[in-house]
Amino acid sequence: MASIVRPAMLRQTCLATASKRTFSTKLSSFPAINKPAASVLSRPVVRSAFVRDALPGAIRVAAFHASGRQPILPPLPQVINGTANDAAPVPPANPSHGSYHWTFERLISAGLIPLTIAPFAAGSLNPTMDAILCATILIHSHIGFESIVIDYIPTKRLPKTRVLFWWGLRLATVVVGVGLYEFETNDVGVTEAIKRIWHA
Amino acid sequence: MLAQRATQQSLRRLAASNPSTASRMVFKNFAAPLAVGSSMHTRPVTTQKMTPADSYEILVAQRKLRPVSPHLTIYQPQMPWIASGLNRITGSVLSGGFYVFGAAYLVSPLFGWHLDSASMAAAFGSLPMALKVATKFVVALPFTFHTMNGLRHLTWDLGKSFANKTVIKTGWVVTGATIASSLYLALLA
Repeated sequence: MASIVRPAMLRQTCLATASKRTFSTKLSSFPAINKPAASVLSRPVVRSAFVRDALPGAIRVAAFHASGRQPILPPLPQVINGTANDAAPVPPANPSHGSYHWTFERLISAGLIPLTIAPFAAGSLNPTMDAILCATILIHSHIGFESIVIDYIPTKRLPKTRVLFWWGLRLATVVVGVGLYEFETNDVGVTEAIKRIWHA
Repeated sequence: MLAQRATQQSLRRLAASNPSTASRMVFKNFAAPLAVGSSMHTRPVTTQKMTPADSYEILVAQRKLRPVSPHLTIYQPQMPWIASGLNRITGSVLSGGFYVFGAAYLVSPLFGWHLDSASMAAAFGSLPMALKVATKFVVALPFTFHTMNGLRHLTWDLGKSFANKTVIKTGWVVTGATIASSLYLALLA
């Protein structure tokens, strides 16, 4: 009765229902709701909402996930451990998990500044300084690759791949370290070699 | 309006004096059409017994069909994140080359490769001029960018010049300095 006396109320109710359904991704199981454009609803806003409602469910779901599907990789193997109600695991306390490694990384990076400028200023480096430069670059590279492995191969998703890359990187660093030792002892040194190739 | 008000009040009085009559009235007016409607839309529901292993398999299969979350292309290209990404990319390229050379030099006697400085300098010297300049530029570009952008990162680690506008400004300074110094190293050095 109230709705006959006050048509504004009906319109508000209809608007509210329409807007609620615009944002929902499910098709209603009630057929009358999915019918387009009722005659009572003459306002353009309301009508457009109902037109969108008349689209098939799959299209509306796709539109809700607004961006296009761009899988750069196939989905990784899915492993579901526990339930959604489990507490987050607390990692065991370890004094080396502080900020020491962060400070160490920065000291290595900052140490590379004078070592990089020196060969440009002096023309080349003596064998000791060259060896120090090589070792610092090796540690800096190792830390950088470690961060990349940590970021892109999470243990939670790819535990075996992570172990493979973790130890593969350590092996590679040792191999490269030995190779550079050979180069430093048998050849002219990295800075001098780059200089000679650059001016060749 | 007045008629509506009068009906409402009499209904309230009726409900207060005789609750059972009121509830019966409500039932007669509203519940009956609802009952008819629900009888028209019956859906037979079948259930299935399932072991935990089976339901786990279904969940795993379902997760592989989930929509892929949007990738980097949805973000507006901006100096802070582009430069930060390039810092990692250029660093990986430089370190990757460093690692490839170090490992290749170690195994070169086994395969008969000539990776000593004299041979490499001779091989590089025999290239045409344009190719030499292009190679130098391609090598110098990641080196200069990573070096100068690394200074920027170290400044932030000291807690300095980390305002958004400053970050964008220093980013462009580094970009300009990278191109200029790379051109200098490729053409003049």
